[in-house]
Amino acid sequence: MLPEGYDTVETTVRAVLRDVLGLSAERVAGFTATTPLFGALPELDSMAVASVLTEIEDRLGILIEDDEVDGDMLETFGALVEFAASKALV
Amino acid sequence: MAPRIDHYDWPGGREAMLRFGPDDGPLAVVALPMFEEGNRTRTFVVTLLRALAERGIGSVLPDVPGQGESITPLAGLTLLRMATALEAITDRCFDDGRRTYAVGIRSGALLDGCALHSGRWHLAPQTGADLLRDLHRTWRAASHSGDQTMMMAGGDPVEIAGNLLPSDLLLSMSAATPSDQPGIPRRVVRLASDPAAADRHVDAAPLWRRSEPGNDAALAALLAEDIAGWIAACEA
Repeated sequence: MLPEGYDTVETTVRAVLRDVLGLSAERVAGFTATTPLFGALPELDSMAVASVLTEIEDRLGILIEDDEVDGDMLETFGALVEFAASKALV
Repeated sequence: MAPRIDHYDWPGGREAMLRFGPDDGPLAVVALPMFEEGNRTRTFVVTLLRALAERGIGSVLPDVPGQGESITPLAGLTLLRMATALEAITDRCFDDGRRTYAVGIRSGALLDGCALHSGRWHLAPQTGADLLRDLHRTWRAASHSGDQTMMMAGGDPVEIAGNLLPSDLLLSMSAATPSDQPGIPRRVVRLASDPAAADRHVDAAPLWRRSEPGNDAALAALLAEDIAGWIAACEA
């Protein structure tokens, strides 16, 4: 896995959370790998999850299958980035 | 000048529309995205059309049958019937000697294929398959399970985010693509974050993905400038 590719995916996921959930740039800049997402961010309800995933798909040019979507990938910022990277960096 | 409330007639009834800008010259016929994205972008698009009017270009923002404030039931509607309704606006303009240009936002770009527009300007156009994918994901987010075929199976309307969508309408989406006719100018503008092909990429956030409706006056001004310049070039 290329570190610079991973950085791009992380930047993209951060930008998607900012744009889709309407979070401030400062707030998403503070996200680390262990920052909890689903269940911890009130903005991230199940409808917003659908928008976040679709926007990540569009920006990274990937397809996320419905059976791949589970609670684990949305638990933390790090888990979501890792999942997106596993799809984008192959 | 404040927008004026007008209406248009189509074979299935009468719908309301907002009218902006001068009563002569080329007219932009604007189609909002369908369903939830339409609610999220309406305020922004009104800002855009006011900015377009300031640049001397008139426009209309019609309620598509079954969308917005329209009381036409979704049952019996397909993309083609919606596009046929919007065609009536262009036909009326022809009677008045005005040419029309389509302005399609997201899935609104799927609704301008019937009218004889002099050109089409699309913002982040979405294919019917992409729209269906979004709807399916929203359907699944409401604790349903199954693939798209299961969602549409049975012939009964499917409730998605408060809309009762007839299966004929969903089926009509699967193969739909934004209209691009040979010899008719088309311009595609996308956001910088969207890697898909476009004539121009602009740096902005996708308002249509936000659950809290937002506005972006700077983007509205920038896009109004783009549309006005493009229509002027088409008319030259």
